[in-house]
Amino acid sequence: MDPLTGLQVGFSVILTPANLYYCFLGSLIGTLVGVLPGLGPLGALALLLPVTFTLTPVAGMAMLASIFYGAMYGGSTTSVLVNIPGEAASVVTCLDGHQMAKQGRAGAALGIAAMGSFVAGTLSLVALTFFAPAISAVAIRFGPPENFGLMVLGIVCTLFMITGSALKGVLMIALGFLAAAVGIDVVNGRERFTFGSLELSAGVDLLALVIGLFGVTEILLNVESMARNSVIAERVRGLWPTLADWRASWKPILRGSGLGFLLGIVPGGGPVTASFMSYAMERRIAREPQRFGKGAIEGVAGPESANNSAVAGSMIPLLSLGIPSNPVTALLLGALVIQGIQPGPLFISQRPDLFWGVVAAMYVGNVFLLLLNMPLIGLWVQLLRVPYRVLFPIVLLLAVVGTYSANKNVFDLWVMLGFGVAGYALRKLEYDLAPFVLAFVLAPLLEQSLRQSLVMSPDGAIIFAKRPVTALLLVASAVLIAFMFRRQSRAQGGTK
Amino acid sequence: MNRTALAVAFTAVVAAVFAGPLAAQGDARAQLAKMKPKDFPTQPIEYTVVYPAGGGMDVTARLLAKYVEKATGDRIIVNNRTGGAGMIGHSYLATQAKPDGYTVGVLANLVWGDAMLRAQGKWQLSDLEPIAYLNSDPLIWITQTEGAYKGKSLKEIVQTAKDKPSTIRVAVVPGSMWEYLVEQIESSSGAKFLRVPFQGGGAGINALVGGNVDVAQGFYSEFRGHLDAGKVAQVAVAATDRLTSFKDVPTFNEVLGGNEYVWNVIRFVVAPKGVPANRKAYLAAGVKAAMNDPDLINEYRKAGVYFDPKLANSTRVAADLNQYAERERAFYKKTGRLK
Repeated sequence: MDPLTGLQVGFSVILTPANLYYCFLGSLIGTLVGVLPGLGPLGALALLLPVTFTLTPVAGMAMLASIFYGAMYGGSTTSVLVNIPGEAASVVTCLDGHQMAKQGRAGAALGIAAMGSFVAGTLSLVALTFFAPAISAVAIRFGPPENFGLMVLGIVCTLFMITGSALKGVLMIALGFLAAAVGIDVVNGRERFTFGSLELSAGVDLLALVIGLFGVTEILLNVESMARNSVIAERVRGLWPTLADWRASWKPILRGSGLGFLLGIVPGGGPVTASFMSYAMERRIAREPQRFGKGAIEGVAGPESANNSAVAGSMIPLLSLGIPSNPVTALLLGALVIQGIQPGPLFISQRPDLFWGVVAAMYVGNVFLLLLNMPLIGLWVQLLRVPYRVLFPIVLLLAVVGTYSANKNVFDLWVMLGFGVAGYALRKLEYDLAPFVLAFVLAPLLEQSLRQSLVMSPDGAIIFAKRPVTALLLVASAVLIAFMFRRQSRAQGGTK
Repeated sequence: MNRTALAVAFTAVVAAVFAGPLAAQGDARAQLAKMKPKDFPTQPIEYTVVYPAGGGMDVTARLLAKYVEKATGDRIIVNNRTGGAGMIGHSYLATQAKPDGYTVGVLANLVWGDAMLRAQGKWQLSDLEPIAYLNSDPLIWITQTEGAYKGKSLKEIVQTAKDKPSTIRVAVVPGSMWEYLVEQIESSSGAKFLRVPFQGGGAGINALVGGNVDVAQGFYSEFRGHLDAGKVAQVAVAATDRLTSFKDVPTFNEVLGGNEYVWNVIRFVVAPKGVPANRKAYLAAGVKAAMNDPDLINEYRKAGVYFDPKLANSTRVAADLNQYAERERAFYKKTGRLK
């Protein structure tokens, strides 16, 4: 079946009142899940999995998939408004999105995030529609050496996220590696840095870490400036992105779409990595990188597009090979298995109704989400008029509930609080927090893929040169580092 | 008077006609109602799963919850307490969960390794009391249907690993049955494999399909899609007998000689130690009623599991499971993992 006939079949399946209803319901739930910090798409899908038992496979998948990308739309809301990421893929949106809100441009940030999400979601679906089988044939060859190359490139990207002192930034990356090493060794199953504590053997929870480091830290800083009587005046200027905003954003949106799509497909990628790498890329190619972290709209447009297209990207290995590339798609796989359907290489040809139905549902869901999110922006922006002394206890409560609800583990609250205090101190001392988080996210796969590759290889590190994709990624990383040094030395030359 | 009698007789006939096929289920339900303690349950019962939502264990628990709800009318919530490859959830059940019957664990036998090797004396296996058996999944070796190991038998693979040591790449999950099976084969045959570590069976299977390892180990449900598409072939199964669905796939025991090559995921339900006997019996009866529902058995079959006859027909599930656990303990002692 060619893609266009497939889409026709898909739309004929999905355009029934019942299926449209579940698609809409999923979009609505997804938006809420994204908005509420702590409750991420994974938790929400787990809660709603039993509901799908009684639905048809198409309706169930349409609902679950729309929750997944709906969360990517909603996730930016609290990042922008109160500097608490709604879910992990919206961490970087805090950096410039919240600064924009402080300048009274929350509406523009949220508007660009929603439009970017829509454009990226739709573009990546077009790519999925036409190239899914071809892409999956390439994706399956991605083994440990290729993952290693990708992770090295990711780490090089963290270097571009450093805004202040290079030394301080590198120190934060090292600390991120160290924090990620806590827990059970991925290769030999032994405990590391757990000091005999059972809770630490599970490692540091990403969500507790980011909510603490961004949300709690922000509350502490704001409360302090409130006490010093410098009120955070948030004059709301304009609800929508201006023409200038669009001019600045359309390229980052397109770049984010492409990057996110590619990173969604490969095993080490996914929405979180995609959003970080898009941010690093935008900062790298920006003409005035110093604007980043101070309310640059490109820093919102790129990552918010990237995390949405990563969702469509990650559906490719799931639906065309039965391979989940991240925990959320693993759950979608579980939902299909419960229905007695086993996605595999034959899935598209054996169940075209289901495959194309899900694809069509995602097109429809993207439209629903845009229609749902645009009017909400006005409402969200109004929230900023609430005085901070009223707002911050509510935000703190959200942070606590959200962190606890993810694993139902009280220890995570201490982690959140600890990172909140640490983040406060680090911000005071002018350390960047974003490189720390990205290093923390990338480190486990970096370590695992390096050690797997070396075990696999009969002749040590030569394996990285023998695998063309890995070699290419490593060369690209080296070139980027060289560029960075040149820029640095030129900058130093200029000051002399 | 007469009319009443007639009405009763008529109702009885109608009931008999309609209820005939459901008699077995009706019996179980009547028995359940009889066993139900007066004060239990008054709130939803939590099924604790120690692995993430969507995995094999989670699917098993959620299907079970659906059918236990149907049989008992009680509310059941499946809760994933994840982390530390199951250790967090296992420890929670053994040391923190209240023994009031409202928290039940839907576990796999991987809990044995946690209790014996990793609990560091903070808790032990006897803190969790098995109340019902669910299903099993034996570990199966698979290879690609093209390339160097196409159509190779287990015997040939082991021979190659002897002749050319450390050339065959096998996907393992460190510190778990995936690694133990390879270790047993190496120590009995003198072969040497290159063990490539992965975080789960599924990741290893993906690596096989992508040509990054030569042999993967996994459960039928994990590689069924690739098997149906003719991408992978089964080499041998680590069960006591050949599976009824794959009569032509030999067991490790028959190819290599011996009886130690048996590695299954066994799924069962436990209650924390100290739950009142009447509540425990009621919880067990609920699971049993669900497992008597042909629809549930069908759903489990669709997911690709098998039912160990010894455990499925057992009247002493706890004791029989314990026997398997002791076999595992013997392996740990023999290999020096346990003193």
